[in-house]
Amino acid sequence: MLWIENMKMALLAIRINKMRSFLTMLGIIIGISAVISIVSIGDSMRGVIADQFKNIGVNRAMIYVSFVDDRRESDLFTLDELEKVKDAFPKEIVAIDPSSSEDAELTRGRKTIQVALEGVPGNYSDVQPLDMVDGRMINAGDLAAGRNYVVLKKETAIELFGKAQASGETIRAEVSGEPSELTVVGVYEKEATPMDALFMGSTPVAYVPYTSLVSTGDYFFALNFYIAEDIDYNVFKSQVVGLISRMKNRTADQISYNSAQEEMSMADNIMQGMSLAVGAIAAISLLVGGIGIMNIMLVSVTERTREIGIRKALGARTRDILIQFLTESALLSAAGGLIGTLLGIGFVMIGGAVAKIDVVIDPMVVLIAVAFSAMVGVLFGILPASKAAKADPIDALRYE
Amino acid sequence: MNDWTDTEGRNGQEDRQALIRIENMGKTYDTGAVQVAALKEVDLIIRQGEFVAVMGQSGSGKSTLMNILGCLDRPTSGKYYLEGIDIGSRSSDELSLIRNKKIGFVFQSFNLIPRTSALKNVELPMTYARIPFHERHRRAMELLQKVDLGDRMEHMPNELSGGQKQRVAVARALANDPPILLADEPTGNLDSTSSGEIMRLFTALNAEGVTVIVVTHENEIAAFARRVIRFRDGKMISDETGGGHYAVD
Ligand SMILES: Nc1ncnc2c1ncn2[C@@H]1O[C@H](COP(=O)(O)OP(=O)(O)OP(=O)(O)O)[C@@H](O)[C@H]1O
Ligand SMILES: [Mg+2]
Repeated sequence: MLWIENMKMALLAIRINKMRSFLTMLGIIIGISAVISIVSIGDSMRGVIADQFKNIGVNRAMIYVSFVDDRRESDLFTLDELEKVKDAFPKEIVAIDPSSSEDAELTRGRKTIQVALEGVPGNYSDVQPLDMVDGRMINAGDLAAGRNYVVLKKETAIELFGKAQASGETIRAEVSGEPSELTVVGVYEKEATPMDALFMGSTPVAYVPYTSLVSTGDYFFALNFYIAEDIDYNVFKSQVVGLISRMKNRTADQISYNSAQEEMSMADNIMQGMSLAVGAIAAISLLVGGIGIMNIMLVSVTERTREIGIRKALGARTRDILIQFLTESALLSAAGGLIGTLLGIGFVMIGGAVAKIDVVIDPMVVLIAVAFSAMVGVLFGILPASKAAKADPIDALRYE
Repeated sequence: MNDWTDTEGRNGQEDRQALIRIENMGKTYDTGAVQVAALKEVDLIIRQGEFVAVMGQSGSGKSTLMNILGCLDRPTSGKYYLEGIDIGSRSSDELSLIRNKKIGFVFQSFNLIPRTSALKNVELPMTYARIPFHERHRRAMELLQKVDLGDRMEHMPNELSGGQKQRVAVARALANDPPILLADEPTGNLDSTSSGEIMRLFTALNAEGVTVIVVTHENEIAAFARRVIRFRDGKMISDETGGGHYAVD
């Protein structure tokens, strides 16, 4: 009953000094909106990065000999070695390829298109499922025979053949200056995220068996493989690095091992560090905002000394006055928090729309922000409110 | 605290009606440098239903007495019993409760809460008495009608004349139906017409049984009271009832 009355009185007090109330809230508004924006940007980035890793394969890893000064030919790999590594880890390595990719020009009639040919293993569709709109993906038979088969991106197929159903068609290809003929066995579809354009350029990818790019006796730079999900990741890592270092006669620290998982956890660490920094900024700005509120509440208490005296004469108890002023500072601060939250969400929405990123806004964050700023209001309201509550009625009534 | 009829060891027929009993009471203000004895050796009994005027020169201790009677302040020596309760030994929150239930204040400077409607001002003592909204709203309207301000309920204090403000203050003082009305120079800031209105209100309330104590400098105001108490330099120098009066000393 009394708290409704307190709420009304607090609203009135805030309304009477609109400008002053707003300026007082500013610290909280800025702090909370900054926190909401940065937390939401962090969450959104995390989403984008996770998507990105899903694209290139979460279980993907790459191993090669680091760029050391005494570079030797034996630092490079051959297909025989690739088979050896594969046979050494029949359970752990699901798929393996020589990480081969070539720029190529595909020509049909008068149309020519630039694509990136990616050499894939025979079971690629197991480790990186693609949406096939026509035909099939490269398979083990294609790989074993080193067939000149290709799987095109839907847009590429439409450009060249005027249709997505291009299986069975043949095209001329020029791969690093050497002409050849490719047969289309399938067409896949993939929605482009803005990040794809950013990371990979706009060249469409076409898949070929890696054996059509790398022949026995050719040297290549790295092994690219997909790891089984249910293995001890760290044990496997040290085993495979050990194998390669023996194979290449290099020390373990001369072997580079990059995995999507490690990169992802690194990105996550960066995000976490950012969250921590944001937390610190939030704490500081809320502290500053809280001090602002305390200051203005002290002014308000002094201004209203006489009112406090009247209220006490009429029967207000210490607690009544205390709660009245605490309500006021909490409301002031929570209103600041709410405005800050809305402002922050606004920033993030606009930013997300501009960058074409799916924005993640956690309703929990909003709730916590408002509750937390109300708490700041209560905390920094205690000193002014208790000053008001402790006022002697006679002194307060006599106050000019 | 809960039992207002408790008379803490007082006895006799006379005491039962003694609403206010002051025994050898003194009040000394300690301003650090000097000690100001505002009240000295005051003995006073006021019974239920009396209409008392307190007079005396400026600085003679009238307001000091009223503050103590109103439980806003405590005596520094002697005793003050209100309805038999020793006020000197009560906590400030207990005094708040006593003021809320037992005492209505009317001040010279009105002391309405600014930017708060006449109605809300009248409701305030009932709010602190935890009276439900509808009940206090109804009663506040009733009281404002009683002081002839039925058409000014939603007015803010700065939209009211001095006389109207003081009538709002009277309505507010009556909110919790207190047995005592304390008025320290209630007509000090009013013209003679408004003063007359306020004093007639007091007379009517007194007729309903409210004990009224008024501080005043004016004999015309004091004439409304049946009993006149005079102070000089913190001492009670006379106490007259009706026509016949007698000196204390
Ligand atoms: N808070 C205080 N601190 C110190 N001295 C005070 C205080 N309040 C009152 N006094 C002194 O106590 C004495 C009595 O003051 P009081 O206000 O009771 O007089 P009064 O009779 O009401 O005068 P007036 O008719 O002018 O209102 C005065 O000498 C005054 O200066
Ligand atoms: Mg006075």
